[in-house]
Amino acid sequence: MSMQGLAEGDVVAVHPGEISLGAPKQQRVHIRGDVAERLLSIFSPLLLLVLWEVLVRTSLLDARFFPPPTGIVSTFGSLVASGELWNHLSASIVRILWGFALGSTPALILGLIMGLSPIIRAAINPMIAATYPIPKIAILPLIMLIFGLGEMSKYVIVAIGVFFLVLINTMAGVMNIEQIYLDVGKNFGASRKDMYLTIAFPGALPLIFAGLRLGWGVALLLIVAAEFVGAKSGIGYLIWQSWQTFSVEAMYVGLIIISVLGYISSLVLDELERILIPWKSLHLKS
Amino acid sequence: MTQANGKTSEGTKATAVTRAPAKVRIEGLYKIFDVGHGKVTALDNVNITIPDGEFLCIVGPSGCGKTTLLRILAGLETASEGNIIMTQRDKSKPMNSMIFQEQSVFPWMTVQDNIAYGLRMRGVDRKESAEKVDFYVRKIGLLKFAKAYPHQLSGGMKQRVSVARAFANDPEVLLMDEPFAALDEQNKVLLQEELLRIWEETRKTVIFITHSIDEAIVLGDRVIVMTAHPGRVKADVRVDFPRPRKVYELRAQPKYGELAYKIWDLLRDEVLKAKREEGTE
Repeated sequence: MSMQGLAEGDVVAVHPGEISLGAPKQQRVHIRGDVAERLLSIFSPLLLLVLWEVLVRTSLLDARFFPPPTGIVSTFGSLVASGELWNHLSASIVRILWGFALGSTPALILGLIMGLSPIIRAAINPMIAATYPIPKIAILPLIMLIFGLGEMSKYVIVAIGVFFLVLINTMAGVMNIEQIYLDVGKNFGASRKDMYLTIAFPGALPLIFAGLRLGWGVALLLIVAAEFVGAKSGIGYLIWQSWQTFSVEAMYVGLIIISVLGYISSLVLDELERILIPWKSLHLKS
Repeated sequence: MTQANGKTSEGTKATAVTRAPAKVRIEGLYKIFDVGHGKVTALDNVNITIPDGEFLCIVGPSGCGKTTLLRILAGLETASEGNIIMTQRDKSKPMNSMIFQEQSVFPWMTVQDNIAYGLRMRGVDRKESAEKVDFYVRKIGLLKFAKAYPHQLSGGMKQRVSVARAFANDPEVLLMDEPFAALDEQNKVLLQEELLRIWEETRKTVIFITHSIDEAIVLGDRVIVMTAHPGRVKADVRVDFPRPRKVYELRAQPKYGELAYKIWDLLRDEVLKAKREEGTE
C-alpha cells in the first residue's frame, strides 16, 4: 500500500477505501461455519412450520387455536386479493408515521435544549420524570375522551409514547457529549445556533437513533392497542375483529404482519443510521 | 504599531505604553477556585508580557495552574482578578485559537470539515475556506484522508488535524495545551518538527504549555518556569537557538544540555514540593 504524504512512523488505523471490507482473511477461515449457521437459521423455522402442520393434521394440536400454516397462508392470500389487508396495513402505517412525526419533532428540539441548558433541564425534568413512568396505554381512554374516536386520537397516543423515549435519549445524548467539544466550539467562536447544529445534534445523533428505535417499538404496541378499542381499520382492528368473529386464521395473519412490519422497519432504521451516522458505523460493527 | 489602544478581552484599560510591541500582556492575574471546604489559589499574581511573534513555552509541575492560565487566555474560564490585554491587529481575524491536549477533533466531521470549522463559524466564504483547508490538509500530509472520519485516523494524525484546525483559523495568537503529550516519542518529534515548519511560515505568537523541558527548549524562544501550587512565575529563561530548527540537531548541541540543566534546576524544587503536597493531602 502506498502511503504518500504520510509521515513515517505514523500508524494508519484503517484505510478509508477498505472500511467496509473488514478483515477478509479472518472471514475466509470461518466461511464454512458461516454458511452452516445461515442454513441452520433458515431451516429451523421451516422445520418448525412443517412440524406444526403435521401436528395439526394428526390432531395432536387443536386447529381451533393453532390453525395449520397452510390455512393461514390461504387466508393471507384471500385477504391480499380482496385488498382488505392492504387497507388495514396502510391505515396503521399512516397512523404510526403521523404519530411518530408529531411526537419525535418536539421531543428532539426540547431534548437538545434540555441537554445544553442546565436551567431549562432543571425546570422541565421533574415533570418528565413524573409522567414518564405512566403506562401510555393507561391514558388511552383519556386521549379518546379528548380527541374522539377519529384518527387524531391514534396520532396522539403514538406521539406521546414516542415523545418520551426520543426526549430522554436526545437529552442523554447531548449530556454525554464530552465537554471538550463544547470548549472547542466556544473557542472557535460558535454561536448558540452553531452549538446546536454543529455539536449538540450530531454528537447526540447515535443516542437519538436509539430513542427512535425504542419509539418505533412502542408505536407498534400503542397503535395495536388503540385500534383494538376505537377503530374501524388497522392491523389492531383486524386482530380484534378476528377474535370477535372467531376467525383465528385472520388473527394469525395480523400477528405475522405486525412482526414483519417490526422487522422491516428495523432494517430501514439500520440503513438510515448507516447513512446519517457514517462516523459511527465502524464502531457498531466491531 | 498599535500599543495603547490595544483591545482588551477583559474590558479593561490598556494604559502603559510599552517599548516592544507586546501582543499579550498578563497583568496581576489571580484565579481562586471555590472548593466546598474553602478556597484554592491556582494562579497567584501572574505577570507575563509576550511580544508579537514570540514562541513562548510555559513549564511547571502538574497542578501548577498552567492549563488554567491557558483556558483563561482562551476565554473558557474567567480570572478572579487581573487583566489580560491582547493587541488585535486585524479585526477580521480571530484573537486566539486553542489546540487541546486531549482528543478534540469532532468525530462526526471529516478531516476537512474539522479543519474548516473555525472558518465556517466566522462565515468565511466557501471558496476561500476550501483553499485554506486544501493548503493545510497537504501541509499535514493528510490529503488522502481529507474525507476520512477521525476514527479512521491514528492518534498522531488526529492531533495533526487539531493543529491544522487552529492554524487554518488564522488567529493572532495560538494557544497550545500540551498538544503532543499523549503521543509516543517518535510521533512527538515528527509533530514538533511539523509544528516548527508551519509556525516559521507564519510566525504567529504562540503560548505553548508543556511539562517537558525538552519540548520547551526545542520549540520556544523563551521558557517560563512556574512554581508548584499556587502557580507563580518563577523564572524567565531565554532560548536563543537560531531558526529554522531541527529537533535532533538542536538536542546534540552542548548548549541544549546546559539549558535543560538550568531549567531542571529551577523546576526540581517545585516538582518535589508538588509531590510532597500530593503526599500530605
